[in-house]
Amino acid sequence: MNRIFVIGYAALLFASVSYAQESTPAPPPVEQQVPGQQSGASRSTPPGQAVVPVPVPIAPPKPNGPVQKSLVRITATSVEPDYRAPWNAGGLQRGVGAGFVISGNRIMTNAHVVANSRYITVERDGDPNKYPATVQFIANDCDLALITVPAPDFFKNMLPLKFGGIPALESTVSAYGYPIGGERMSVTTGIVSRVDFQLYTHSSVDQHLTIQISAQINPGNSGGPVMQDAKVVGVAFQGYSGDVAQGITYAKLQNPAQRKFLGLKDDDRGVLVSSVVAAGPSDGILRSGDVLLAIDGHPIASDANVEVEGERAQFEEVVERKFKGDSVKFDILRDKQPLTVTIKLYKPWPYSIQGHSYDVRPRYVLYGGLLFQPLDLDMLEAYRTSDLRLRHFFEYFILEQIYLQHPDVIVLSNILPDPINTYLAPYRGAIVDEVNGKKIRTLDELAQAFAQAPGQLVIRMIGDGPPLVLDRNKVEAARERIKTRYNVAKEQNLEERPASGAPAQANKI
Amino acid sequence: MVKHSLIALGIILVAASGTLAKKEPAISATASKQKQLALVRVNVTGQSYDYFRPWQKKAPFSKRALGAVLSKGRVLVTADLVTNQNYVELERAESGEKTAANVQVIDYEANLALLEPVEKTFLDGITPLEITPDTVVGDRLAAWQLEPTGALLATEGLVTTVQMMPYPIDVGQFLTYRISIPMQYRENSYTVPLVKNNKLAGLLLRYDSRSQLVDAIPAPIITHFLKEAESQNYRGFPSAGFSFFPTRDPELREFAEEKGKGGGVYVTNVEPATPAMKAGLQVGDIVTAIGNHEIDQNGNYVDPLYGKIEFTNLLTAHAYAGDVVPFHIQRNGKPMQLNVTLEHRDAKDYVSPPYYLDQPPRYFVLGGLIFQELSRQYLKEWGPNWQREAPQRLVYFDHFQSELFPQRNRRIVILSQVLPANSTIGYDDLAYLTVTKVNGGEIKSLDDLAEAVKHPIEGFVKIETEEDPKQIELDATQVAAEAPELQENYGISSLQRLQ
Repeated sequence: MNRIFVIGYAALLFASVSYAQESTPAPPPVEQQVPGQQSGASRSTPPGQAVVPVPVPIAPPKPNGPVQKSLVRITATSVEPDYRAPWNAGGLQRGVGAGFVISGNRIMTNAHVVANSRYITVERDGDPNKYPATVQFIANDCDLALITVPAPDFFKNMLPLKFGGIPALESTVSAYGYPIGGERMSVTTGIVSRVDFQLYTHSSVDQHLTIQISAQINPGNSGGPVMQDAKVVGVAFQGYSGDVAQGITYAKLQNPAQRKFLGLKDDDRGVLVSSVVAAGPSDGILRSGDVLLAIDGHPIASDANVEVEGERAQFEEVVERKFKGDSVKFDILRDKQPLTVTIKLYKPWPYSIQGHSYDVRPRYVLYGGLLFQPLDLDMLEAYRTSDLRLRHFFEYFILEQIYLQHPDVIVLSNILPDPINTYLAPYRGAIVDEVNGKKIRTLDELAQAFAQAPGQLVIRMIGDGPPLVLDRNKVEAARERIKTRYNVAKEQNLEERPASGAPAQANKI
Repeated sequence: MVKHSLIALGIILVAASGTLAKKEPAISATASKQKQLALVRVNVTGQSYDYFRPWQKKAPFSKRALGAVLSKGRVLVTADLVTNQNYVELERAESGEKTAANVQVIDYEANLALLEPVEKTFLDGITPLEITPDTVVGDRLAAWQLEPTGALLATEGLVTTVQMMPYPIDVGQFLTYRISIPMQYRENSYTVPLVKNNKLAGLLLRYDSRSQLVDAIPAPIITHFLKEAESQNYRGFPSAGFSFFPTRDPELREFAEEKGKGGGVYVTNVEPATPAMKAGLQVGDIVTAIGNHEIDQNGNYVDPLYGKIEFTNLLTAHAYAGDVVPFHIQRNGKPMQLNVTLEHRDAKDYVSPPYYLDQPPRYFVLGGLIFQELSRQYLKEWGPNWQREAPQRLVYFDHFQSELFPQRNRRIVILSQVLPANSTIGYDDLAYLTVTKVNGGEIKSLDDLAEAVKHPIEGFVKIETEEDPKQIELDATQVAAEAPELQENYGISSLQRLQ
């Protein structure tokens, strides 16, 4: 593993919440020095492995303090949904990660450490006990979660960590965690090599600010704090980059002819709005062809960067710092006329088929042995399909506004063989378009169409294939037989309802 | 040609079975030797066009192969061999004597071509091969190859199946022999004749050395090709223009009001402006028979030679473009007859042509932006795995073209790549975008585009794309001024080719 990312700003986003709460109750007493622990001074110059010299340090880094008093080891047993047999509970998995105590008796970790979890235990340094823990809050889009331990004395001797800002490039940071190869806490030190927007692989669609550091991070480091000057500057996780989907897409405006055509000044400001997602918060406010000049007063450069707190970052960074219900103001140029628009970040994006989902049971309808599932990343990966049409519908779901016609792209994903569906194998992988002449937009509508069906059901698929015809009476007669033969507990799940005991989901903006 | 996307599996499985094997006496390698072999070596050098730099050709290739000498001084080879040729040479096996040759007729879809020597007397003394059209499953065929000395190397194999299969160009399916044969590698094994009792039974289409299976273009297809080639104006194999699906499913049969136990295929799609559409065929019809041949529920008819085989063989091997073929159908439970006048569907009649060979690709260069028309030939530039490796959006357009562009009266113009230049600063990363409009005018071909760029808007050329960034502008004056430098820098001989 040669690239490591650390969540920076996303962590700050959480930090601001915790500070807000801190202002009312008195902060817990901070025990700075604990006898028997390593002195802070010896930690300030990291041990032999810190080979990366820091050029021109402005001030010697402050010691990070006794981090083992803040660090916990998290063992989570999770249930991974089985998208190929969605009526089953799924397979059990056990994973280990790190977490750290913050104010308010909370532990921060990565969402992926505790996603889909059914049972979580937490261990701390120098204590043989395993403490059951519960998830308070999980934000899969930015891969962060807050958990807590109900045991009354657990937090008593723990040291809550505080959040710092964005570390400077080339400054030294230390990552703490429980990577494989041992039971005890491990520290690695590296320098900040890049601060940039990166795709978060946990959801695989969301981009947030990341800090890339030059330290070795292994599985088990996940969720551990990355610290500088005794403050948390990030949470360790690993990732790689890829495509993302946003409420609007934009293009850089670096071509002089294009700038002139759009009536822009000969400076280096502005990005071009390419597409506006019809169901997104910018719908009806921004248009394709608009030029975004400034966001909340920050000028947007033609390479889509803004300057925030002295750092250049992509302009979405400004949106990143907001919460649901906040507004964002754009200065734009439309048909060469300046204009100011305000976009209210009022709702989460409803069509998240391109990302992984967690802590939910897969939606499906099983009818006559035919399994219908909405197309999404988890389902696509489960079936490892190379079907050109399915891949296209997935890839262009937003850009071609497929969601307007098909909020759920319903796929006949699998067939449980039975005499009533012997000849239906060629329909596998087809996308449902209409049933008995009625367009089917959602899985609910499909379930309804099946429930209300008269004698004959004619299912039209997208494309020029034949209709799939079912005889309702025969399907009804086969129901129990199919359920028994394939051990199907439930014939449908329409709601993406949380799996039992799952925590509240964070709202995405 | 009919399409098989959904049904391919079912059809192929069934088509293979139930052949009425009429055993021929096994032939031996020695028996197939002749004094003057009806074989010549064929040496081809050629150059294919470079679709990534459409103004130039790729480095020359050379292929050595065999040709079967037929009557009237003609030499039969696969189309594959002589595609994009610059020079074809025939060489007598025993004497090494050579002459140049011309390609007389070529059919890319059936993968066949006829050559004629420039020197008319070149083939004198060779007894031409006759064609035997009656090969069936169980027959033994000999693959004829040549040793470096000119001696015959004959390897025998067994015909294991006769069925409809796609050919390399992948336009429809054609009758194919599959032969189990342990063929040996020889330098010139490109086009290998398959011979039964000294008569030509087929021509090698592809060989899988691991399974030792040869697929061969069968004599009936060769005969069809030769008969067409006699006419002044070669038209090619006919097609009808509809897709179909088996009627095994009782629910589908009931839906189509097919009450009895009769056969037939369910029509799932009829393409506009095709013979099937002109004859009045409709989606939902059941085609029960073609001519006197009844079609079963799987889409097979009983062939007197092969037994059950897919009915499309009746339209490709048996019929010719221009033939009127009676289709017996059931519509809403009532029998009807439609007379379908078959036509050959030319590659240019597709939105994304399935092949584009022996002719230079069209393109248009505008200030570093390269525009091309989508074709499968372009996508194949990504190599044998082009269906996975070429830009998936373009593969999707090509694959579903009949569904996405049913009217067929257009091309898909793509901005295929950007050559960095002053006029294209900031556009360097753009590629594979589909062009919808230029200067406000709709773009359905490169000709549209060439015309539209002549009318800039206030000095700018505005290009609109279906994908992001949706719009691109160029300074028309700057583009014109920079053109010579662009041509010089990137070695572009001509900025456009539209003929």
